[in-house]
Amino acid sequence: MDAVAGIEVTGVRRAFGSVLAVDHIDLRARPGEVTALVGPNGSGKTTLLLMLATLLAPDAGSIRIDGIDPVAAPREIRATMGWMPDGFGTWDALTVREVLETVAAAYRMAPGPARTRTAELLELVHLGDLADRPARVLSRGQKQRLGLARALVHHPSILLLDEPASGLDPRSRIELRDILRRLAASGATLLVSSHILTELQEIADRAVIVARGRSVAVQDLSSDSGSGHGSGHVVSQWRITSLDPPRLMAALAHHGVATQPLTDAVDVEVSGDIAASELLAQLVGDGIPITAFAPSYGALETAYLAATEDRQ
Amino acid sequence: MSLHGVRTIAVLELRQRLRTSRWPIVIGIWFLIIGAVAGLTWWAVNNQPGDRGTTLYDVVVFFVLGLGMLVVPSLTATSINGDREHGVLATMQTTLLTSADIVVGKLVAAWVISLAFLLAASPFLVWAWIAGGVEVGRMLLAVAVLVFVLAVVCALGLMFSTLTARTISSAVLTYLTVAALTFGTVIAFLLSIPIMSTQANVRVKLVPETWYQQHQPANPDEKTILEPTPADCVYVNRDQTILHTERTWWLLALNPFVVVADAAPSRKPMTYLGFEPLQMISDGARTARMGTTPDSLNECWPELAVAPLAQQPNPGEGDGPQPQREQQLQRERLNSVPAVWPYGFVFLGVIGVASTWVAVRRLRTPIRRLPRGTRIA
Repeated sequence: MDAVAGIEVTGVRRAFGSVLAVDHIDLRARPGEVTALVGPNGSGKTTLLLMLATLLAPDAGSIRIDGIDPVAAPREIRATMGWMPDGFGTWDALTVREVLETVAAAYRMAPGPARTRTAELLELVHLGDLADRPARVLSRGQKQRLGLARALVHHPSILLLDEPASGLDPRSRIELRDILRRLAASGATLLVSSHILTELQEIADRAVIVARGRSVAVQDLSSDSGSGHGSGHVVSQWRITSLDPPRLMAALAHHGVATQPLTDAVDVEVSGDIAASELLAQLVGDGIPITAFAPSYGALETAYLAATEDRQ
Repeated sequence: MSLHGVRTIAVLELRQRLRTSRWPIVIGIWFLIIGAVAGLTWWAVNNQPGDRGTTLYDVVVFFVLGLGMLVVPSLTATSINGDREHGVLATMQTTLLTSADIVVGKLVAAWVISLAFLLAASPFLVWAWIAGGVEVGRMLLAVAVLVFVLAVVCALGLMFSTLTARTISSAVLTYLTVAALTFGTVIAFLLSIPIMSTQANVRVKLVPETWYQQHQPANPDEKTILEPTPADCVYVNRDQTILHTERTWWLLALNPFVVVADAAPSRKPMTYLGFEPLQMISDGARTARMGTTPDSLNECWPELAVAPLAQQPNPGEGDGPQPQREQQLQRERLNSVPAVWPYGFVFLGVIGVASTWVAVRRLRTPIRRLPRGTRIA
């Protein structure tokens, strides 16, 4: 078996009795990247994550995490994987600090390192002030942050996050995004499921769209081709708004840019950031009254809507 | 399974229990109830002859076991499906803890709490010991078997909490199983008696009715009253029902009360009345094991009396020599019957180990077949 780093899912299927939760999912999450898992409610995201988290065995297909089969060797995977489930609970009677120390003990950390790591994580998710309060008094967003800290206790290189941003206030969301990007930059493999598309667009490098238990599309989200991942030639979408739409359209046609008119703006496809900034300079040089020129986050939305059109 | 893993779970469980539930109050009530029972017992037997300590010991151990069987299932019967409901089980299963760590850790925690209950009852055992009549070794054996039985009940509850999705179902199943062990075995045994009994023509040695008609006239003169002697006994053939409890006594051996009672009863001669539940249970179980023996076909009571009747200090007074003799003889016979409790001990041990094994298996991940109604996370 060739040990491919990251997560590799091929043709996975899982039924609960007569209910087919996951029909056929293919997925590839690479180290150093954040892969988003998007799909409507009941599309099989959580079931897939349970299988990846070594809790559930697939009926068919194969899963490899860093080349290891989670059904055959779950312990090896658990040592390097952090899982943050959707809507998990905490031990109500324990304090925030004790929760993390207990999890560290469950990962066989000695008490000393466990305390150090707990302090680090409390700092990271900004729960230091609440460290000695019982976990039950935390708000939903604070619990969510505790859940993230818990998933990170043992320095995992694979992270599975199920709806990590739900219940978070805007500031915490931005911090979550930064934490996840940092982890990816340090070489971890991240798989994040979410409903909030615009947010995923900011965090994720690519998105796997699942519907009715099948993976239906893979969307590349990296807007900056210069950051090293991707194939080098990445077409990204930018959204332009102008005070004079007809002149803008004419200018775009003149420069030979592929356009997709919207009601109050236009989406254009350019290859990379440099090309985008050049286009903006040209349009301004042409005297077009531009009011907005920004990466379009509609790409994922469009793909998502197209992929899930036939939902029940 | 590792010591470290088991300890992690046990510490977590105990910490949570101590902080969330009202165990101090429950143990306080427990202490008061056992104390009330012990006090009433003491008051009742205070004027009785003999060792008051044995009665106190019997009653206290009996109640500790009875109440323990009521309290202990609640320690584990909702443990694992409750954790699942609170969403804290799956996150532990994805750590390096094995399913055996989780199950054994929870078992140890529940068992430690049941030990706290025993500890709360221990002052009354010390009281019984001070009152006298019970050896320390016997008392320690009783406590050891008690601890063992409670651990088995913990394991049963834990197993059911892995088998059902709803906590209420596992609690009911655990209590039903405990009831089946305590009442079911007795009912099954009682039902087995008529089924197993046979009619047989047996040879019985007895004092014939004709002897009484000849030697004890209706209006006796006190001075001339005659008592039968062994020589007056004759052998008579008669049809009678023979009970074969020796074939089904093992049903009683499965009963936790029998196991505890038979392991360490107070064992004093049956010479006076009193309420000694352990001894009564143990005697009952051993009588059943003995079944119908040739000895029991000897109804020639003058022969059974070891000492000559003339030497009895007050013949014809109180209980009279006849019942006393028979009681003593019965005691000797029962003491010669092999102990009943080792069978139940092994049986309960098998139940405990099997329950733990089932629980460990049910927590194994990744799950292939998910039972209806159960969630993972």
